[in-house]
Amino acid sequence: MHLSSAVRIALVILLSVTIAWIGTVALFYLSASGSSRNTRPLPGQVAALVTLLERASPAEQQLILHAVTSQALTARLETGIHLGVTPKLQRVPRLTARAVDQYLAAAGGRPNSVTISREHGGKGGLGFTFVTPVDLELRVGLATGDTLVVDALSYPVANILGVPVGFVAGLTGAVLGLIALLALRREVAFNKLQVRLSHLVRGRIAMLGGISHDVRTFLTRLRLRVDRIPDEEERERAIADIADMLRLLDDALLASRAGAGELAEELVDFAQVVRAEVDDRRSAGKPADLQVAGAAANGTTTVLGDRLALRRVIANLVDNALVYGKAAHLSIDADSEFVTLNVDDEGPGIPPDQREAILEPFVRLEDSRNRRTGGAGLGLAVARSLVEAHNGTIAITDAPGSTADSARGGARLTVKLPLFVAR
Amino acid sequence: MCNSAHLRVEYRAGYGYNGSMAETGATILIVEDDPVIRRLVGEVLRNEGFAVEAAENAASMDAILARIQPDLVILDVMLPGEDGLSICRRLYAHERFPILMLSAKADEIDRVVGLETGADDYLVKPFGPRELIARVRAMLRRGPRTQTPVIRRFTVGHLVVDLDARQIIDDHNTAIALTSAEFDLFACFIQRPRRVLTRDQICKWTRGRMPDPLDRSIDMIVSRLRRKLDRASPGANLITTVRNGGYLLTVHVTPAP
Repeated sequence: MHLSSAVRIALVILLSVTIAWIGTVALFYLSASGSSRNTRPLPGQVAALVTLLERASPAEQQLILHAVTSQALTARLETGIHLGVTPKLQRVPRLTARAVDQYLAAAGGRPNSVTISREHGGKGGLGFTFVTPVDLELRVGLATGDTLVVDALSYPVANILGVPVGFVAGLTGAVLGLIALLALRREVAFNKLQVRLSHLVRGRIAMLGGISHDVRTFLTRLRLRVDRIPDEEERERAIADIADMLRLLDDALLASRAGAGELAEELVDFAQVVRAEVDDRRSAGKPADLQVAGAAANGTTTVLGDRLALRRVIANLVDNALVYGKAAHLSIDADSEFVTLNVDDEGPGIPPDQREAILEPFVRLEDSRNRRTGGAGLGLAVARSLVEAHNGTIAITDAPGSTADSARGGARLTVKLPLFVAR
Repeated sequence: MCNSAHLRVEYRAGYGYNGSMAETGATILIVEDDPVIRRLVGEVLRNEGFAVEAAENAASMDAILARIQPDLVILDVMLPGEDGLSICRRLYAHERFPILMLSAKADEIDRVVGLETGADDYLVKPFGPRELIARVRAMLRRGPRTQTPVIRRFTVGHLVVDLDARQIIDDHNTAIALTSAEFDLFACFIQRPRRVLTRDQICKWTRGRMPDPLDRSIDMIVSRLRRKLDRASPGANLITTVRNGGYLLTVHVTPAP
């Protein structure tokens, strides 16, 4: 998984927004818990209320009750003593009841009870009264024979699921943060892998380049010494062997560079390169010729690619045609998008069922193996890998055996390359 | 040494030996780090009647040049210490003898004979003795170079660019004003025409360092340069963008008269 920088920045923003969200909720909680302590009836407040009510006349009692009533607290009087039972297992009522007892102890103590009148979030919540806000009902039996009933309401700071407000937000933020962290970790690991791979590939290409350089040094020594062989035939053979070794080396180096995407990219006039290769063969007395047709005749066969690689493709195809097919007839054609090179020979042709296979490395036609034509079977495979590295295609068909020269009709190798279009 | 006698006869037969005494007696300096190739090339040349001096690196070459003036220098591209390309540039600027470069890499040749150095000819390793002799004789026949200074003035499309004077003149003979950074960038393209240059390469060549991953300053300078060039020669589209983040000078660069 490779993340673009935009995605990374988005994740970072999301993470910081989530952190800000959690922070806000935490602040709300801190301030809410400050005020919620006041919504719980302070035991001292209740004790004071009890003392006041017991001293006051009935009319004043109503005034006092009005005075202390607020959104969080309502107080009323019931005639007669009606107490509840403080539940022993619930911490908030128990602690509240104990505190009220302590305050009222100074005044001689009053019978009282603290019960939970309503639990916010219901039974589905977490069920801890010190976490889940609760409404309390305090009952204190007064010396006047009445009962003071104080309902302490708590702010509903739990959400609809009964968990505290912000709990889900925090959880979501934490999970998102974790995902972002994992994604970044994966990306870092992936980048490391990529860097290592590219080092490896470059290292291997550099090593091949170094080997190639050193082998060339040895071949140069050998080539200079070979001329001392007195027998002319032997000497020519040795020179040809050196040329074959060199070709193999160059093929391997070019193919590895093509495979690693390390080929050069420059504007190459394809027709010009083809012409140069054909002229080379002709001046060496080989039967090669070239026809340029269509848009290619106007010199618009510019291809974006590696000059050496393209030269190698053409050289391999032409030399194959010369070695296995007696002659090489080349033709170039171009339309607005592609340039097409056909290399026809006069050999026996390539059977249709072997055309795919012969483009693979180390594959040679069976009957050519018996002949003494040499070669490792890499030429066409290298040509294919180089053509494909240029986003081109290579195909084998039959050369058109026209009536005029029926001697022709060997194999046709077609290379199609995309032309460079300036934007 | 019956072999070498045989060889000498052969070269004469194979190449229609017709060298004058001046050619035959010419002094040739070989700069090559491989001792065996140095010796073998020396033997081949001596067999042809040339006087041969050999150096294994730039320092020993300089020592020999202080002593004698060769008629031709054979220079290997890959040398320890100062490499052949840099030696070639140095010699080309100050000396008039022709330079034959030897290279083990075919893809180096563009740079060897292109705009970067002043090499007169080259041979790709491995080469045969006859090839070598033929090149050497042809170069000696042409004689020493007449023009000594390297003029870095080029025709780029409709523009004439002088890299030393840092001046660009369009076909109406008006100068185009570029900032220093823009000119450096344009010079970078001119020295590597019709070749895709990646952002990293451009940064390395113009500033000597790799760019930061989020650094877009090269792209900004390129787009400013393109705007200015487009104004000078509308529709020429000298510099284009290539799909995976590279730039390309599309026209040919030729030495200006």
